[in-house]
Amino acid sequence: MKARWIPAVVVVSVGVCVGLLLSVVLMGQGGQRGISAADPKNAGKTYDKHDLAGFWTRNGSPGGYGGGGTCRDCGDRGFGNDVPPFTPLGQKMFDANKPSYGRNLGTPDAAAHPEEHIGRRRAVPPANGTDPYQYCNPMGPSRALIYPDPVEFIVLPDRLYQHFEWGYGLRTIWTDGRKPLMDPDLPRWWGYSAARWDGDTFVVTTTGVDERTWVDHFGYPHSVDMVLEERYQRTAYDVLELNMTITDPKIYTAAWKSQTKKFRRIEKGTIKSVEGWAGLLEDICAPADEVDQFNRRVRDPAGGVIR
Amino acid sequence: MKVACFLVLSVALALIGTPAFAHHGTGVSYDASKPVTFKATVTEFRYANPHPQLYFDVTDEKGNVVHWSGEFYPNPAQLIQGGWGRKRSEAALQYGTKINITLAPSRAGTPVGAILSLQNEKGETIMGVAGGGPGEAPRGGAPAGRGVQP
Repeated sequence: MKARWIPAVVVVSVGVCVGLLLSVVLMGQGGQRGISAADPKNAGKTYDKHDLAGFWTRNGSPGGYGGGGTCRDCGDRGFGNDVPPFTPLGQKMFDANKPSYGRNLGTPDAAAHPEEHIGRRRAVPPANGTDPYQYCNPMGPSRALIYPDPVEFIVLPDRLYQHFEWGYGLRTIWTDGRKPLMDPDLPRWWGYSAARWDGDTFVVTTTGVDERTWVDHFGYPHSVDMVLEERYQRTAYDVLELNMTITDPKIYTAAWKSQTKKFRRIEKGTIKSVEGWAGLLEDICAPADEVDQFNRRVRDPAGGVIR
Repeated sequence: MKVACFLVLSVALALIGTPAFAHHGTGVSYDASKPVTFKATVTEFRYANPHPQLYFDVTDEKGNVVHWSGEFYPNPAQLIQGGWGRKRSEAALQYGTKINITLAPSRAGTPVGAILSLQNEKGETIMGVAGGGPGEAPRGGAPAGRGVQP
């Protein structure tokens, strides 16, 4: 009788170990799970590599509605783990940012993963953090692109709009032949973006991004002099790859290349309200909800802070 | 059976182990390894971004009433995908509704938590959070023909 229990105990023990291991891996990778970017049903479908219009998402759920983790092979929710050394100013700005994502600061879990840059191992409760989006400030282009909410690419003859479900924000990328605007007079939350085709790669150059935004939710800083380059390649009917590079000598001692991010294509009617009203949901961060209600009544007390 | 047990346990642990993925990084505020379960009474429910919130009263063994607040890990986008729109959710969580609720409590020791499971008096899962995890789309409860379960 005793011997009969051994296999079950082994199975359960292995299950616990695999579960914990999986959770650790998922934690480190920023929640990659769910489905893959490419749907086998779309294999063999023809497509135009220069056609970027439509709904794209990095979300891991089949509907891709938003929230939660990224699709399995789509990259994580950080810009990249290979962070170049900071300049003194960069280190100062990095230290001032207190994110609430990643492994918890000062925990054995954080200490057990030295392979991850320290930016991914310093999460504090939001009540004690400095994340600008906690107060509904704009997230900036790189962070918005990484977040696993859907985004609609609206292509016009002279520009491409990226309409983000997260924050319901609209970003303009000019394709009318203008050159990137270097050293702009007035920084913007979305910056100034101009694009061109380099073969089958759509190359976006963005300058003048307000330095109060973060590169990603781990709180990596940038200066107003940052040049963000995005390189998009449609590699399948339903897959769009994005590689980014940040060049910001005030903050980083070398160019910072992102992990490759993938978006998967979803059809227009995929995302819909409970009544079937198709289109992006309105994931607006409204201070009336976020700051006046959620932060005050839940977020801050959860962190032991009563304001 | 063994394989099923293995898979269920693995997935459950994987979901529990991802507290920092909530929409606004609030997972770090809670300790999912020390869940608490209450019988409680709903006093208020808000279906809003970034996370719906539930306010409820818990009466302890001495008869003292403690006012708790809880946040749902799924945001409205995830809830809608699971078929839990505002009207359906509000109907299930009206003032005075008796609930059984399990939370990951605040690490600060305040009466605040992240909701891990929620049932009404009949044992029916509300808003699909039972078995779900931080940052995950809700599980179960999607009306036929609506939403897609992850």
